[in-house]
Formats: sequence, C-alpha cells, structure tokens
Amino acid sequence: MTSALEARIDHREAVLARIRMVLIESLGVRRTPDEIDPDTALFGSGLGLDSIDAVELVVQLDTDFNVQLPNDVFGRAEMRTVNGLVDLVLAAQAAEIADATAR
Amino acid sequence: MPPLADPAIAIRESVVVTRLDHVHLLRFRGDDARTAIDTLCAGMVRARDGQLQHVLLLDEAAHCFADAYLVADDEEYDLLVEGPTADALHAHLARHLPSGSDVQIEDRTMTHALLGLDGPYAWELVSRVAGAEAIGLPYLTFFHADDWTCYRAGKTGEFGYGLIVPRDARDALETLLLEKGEPLGVARGTLDALDQCALENFFFNVRREGREPVTPIELQLQWRVSYDKDAVGLEALRRHRATPVATRLTSLIADRTVTVGAEVHLDGEVVGRVVNAGWSATRGDCVALALLDVRWAHPGIETFTVWHGASAVPARSLTPPLLNNRSLFVSPQLHAYATRAEIAMPPLARQ
Repeated sequence: MTSALEARIDHREAVLARIRMVLIESLGVRRTPDEIDPDTALFGSGLGLDSIDAVELVVQLDTDFNVQLPNDVFGRAEMRTVNGLVDLVLAAQAAEIADATAR
Repeated sequence: MPPLADPAIAIRESVVVTRLDHVHLLRFRGDDARTAIDTLCAGMVRARDGQLQHVLLLDEAAHCFADAYLVADDEEYDLLVEGPTADALHAHLARHLPSGSDVQIEDRTMTHALLGLDGPYAWELVSRVAGAEAIGLPYLTFFHADDWTCYRAGKTGEFGYGLIVPRDARDALETLLLEKGEPLGVARGTLDALDQCALENFFFNVRREGREPVTPIELQLQWRVSYDKDAVGLEALRRHRATPVATRLTSLIADRTVTVGAEVHLDGEVVGRVVNAGWSATRGDCVALALLDVRWAHPGIETFTVWHGASAVPARSLTPPLLNNRSLFVSPQLHAYATRAEIAMPPLARQ
C-alpha cells in the first residue's frame, strides 16, 4: 500500500478513536470504544442519541478538534453515523488547512 | 397518475405497498414471556408497552440467526422474525427456551399477514387508511385499530409502517391501499426492492450478509448486543471478541455491476470479499457490501478493485447512508405528495 494511503488511514483511525471517546465521555454512551462500530447510527435505535445530544456533540467536536463544523450540519446525512462525524471533522480540518495555505 | 414502474425508485420518491410474507409472526404469552424473549435476544430487552425494538437472535456460534422486531404489547410480546425457515425457527425456540417456564408461543403466521408501506409519503397513505393518528406515530411505536395493528419502523431509510392484519383481510386492505395510494404514485413493492434500499442505507439484511459465518462484530451490529447478559450465542461472542477481529462490513460503490463472492483488491492484494451487491436505479451505480480487512475497512478509499469474472471493476468505499433520503426533508405536518415540488432537497445520491 502507498505510504500516503497508510498515513490517511492512520489519521482517520485517530479521529475515529477520539470521536468514540467523545461519545462515551461527553454524551454518556454506555459502551466501550471497541463496541461503537463506525457505521452505527447515532440517533434512534443505534446509539440512542437525541436532538439535544446532537447540539452537545457538535459543540464538543468543535472544541476537541479545534475546528468549526458547518452551520448547516444538523441537516446533513453525515450527522447520522459515527463515520459521518469522522467525515465532517476531516473535511473541516482540510478546509482549515486550505484556508491557512491561502492566507 | 399511473403507478411508478420501479418499486426501488418508488420507495425513494413516493410509497410502495409490499406483502411481507417472509416474516414470521410469533406471540409470546405467560409469566415468563419476557424472560424467554431475553434468553433469545442478544441485546438488552428495553421495549416498554407500546414500543418496538430492533433485536438480533444469534445461534450458538454467535452467527446471526434472525433479525426481528420485538413488539411489547401489554403483558404479551410479538416477535416479527426474518431470516430462518419456519422449521429452523421452531427448532431454535425448542432448543433454547428454558424448560418448565410459563411461556406459550403462538405462531400467528398462518392466521395473520403483514403489509409494509415504505417511502417518503408512506405516512400520507397510512393516514388515509388508518386515520390521522398514524401521522404522529413516533418511530418504533404502534397502535391497534379494529382488528389490525399499525407500527412504525422500516429498513429503507424512508418512512416505514407495518400493518398486521388477519390473513383473510389482507387482500382487501392491500386493494384499498393501492386505490387510496394512486394519487400518491403508489407502487406494489417487492422484497428485492426493499433489500436494495436496505443495502443503500446500510440496514442489516439477515438474508444476505447475515448468512455469512461471521458475528455482529464484523457486521457492525454491536449496538444490538450486550456483553453483560446471558443469551443464546453471547458466550461464543465474548470469546470471539477476545481475539483480534479480522474483517468489517464496508460499503462500496462501483460504476459497473459486481457480484457476491467477488474478491476485493487494493494495490494488488486481496483485502476482502463482496457479500451483498445490487444495482441502484436511484444512484445509477452498483452498491455493494464487502467484508474487508479491518485496516482498510474505512470510507474514502478510492482505489479498490473488485474482480467480476475476468474483468476488474474500480470501486471506492463511502460512508453510508449512500442517499440523502427524502424522508428526512418531508414533514408530515407541513408537506404532502401533491406539493412535493415545493420541498427543497439536496441531490438524492451522496457522493
């Protein structure tokens, strides 16, 4: 495998690991990290979060990853699963790097 | 308005009515009914009166035996079971229910039938038949009306309802639904169409990827499992969990058809195998699930190759759901099928 792909997957796994901890420590999900599968639904019958949790989750991700998730995040499909959150954080990080490079 | 031709598209755009004859309807009664259910289900049984719960039944090896909804109805429980044959299901019950317990199981499959309504306007159709009460029905709850039961659930990512009716009343209700649904673009559904939509939304399909000899860990179903209880298959699952997990179910898309069993390669190495696949008329590409080496079981990898016969099909992994489901943008309080063009929605396919 290419080292670029290896590095990208390493970074993705690190973000996923941190998001699992946010779900456990800040949102009160009563699971161990390895029990939170990446494509598990966040709301409804998956991890059982609700709309109030969603607000807390976005605030926590902004803080933890030092990013600004998009304002329209609550209507996005990415907000439906753990992997979707990883996508959102990675996109926000990439946008910030692009902004910094352009400045 | 003529019915839409392709039921998989109708599920995404309007509503379909489907005979769910593959589902077994079991009723549990008696003082030990909840204990019996708890013994069978791999997760904590949390459903309260009036609620449904997604539950998973494992076999002794911790492989998926059945996918079910548990319906808590007063002191009784219904299991709406998908996966095994009737004989295998009854053998499983006989083998695993505690002897001497006060539980009676009635198989209602021969006396009752199940009709499914799925689509962004399923709520509009069900309300035309079951009354306005259906519009506000919360997800995973039910109500009784006359001699039938209406519950809200679904495995397509769209609004979904089930109607449990006496079998001899099924055809008349189905005809009524198709008549009342004509202004809503109703189509007659098929199990294949429901399966395709489940695949696009990463809903577990016990009749496809669920037949693989793997556990809920590989299938990303741990949210339906509790490691803190005793139930069929959990001892084996705890043992399995103690060893490194090799594969994980991952969504792939490809521009051309891929088939179940095909090898998935990355940089020339075999990294997995396709376990479910189908052409998405909605997206215009092939959607697949593969059991991939956990190292590569992540979305966002653009360079997979799936071998279809002698030809290599490029594929990429993507975070499910693979659609911006219309049902997320349709509000039963504000919208209607007739005025659907006024609803602002993103493109249906997610890239």
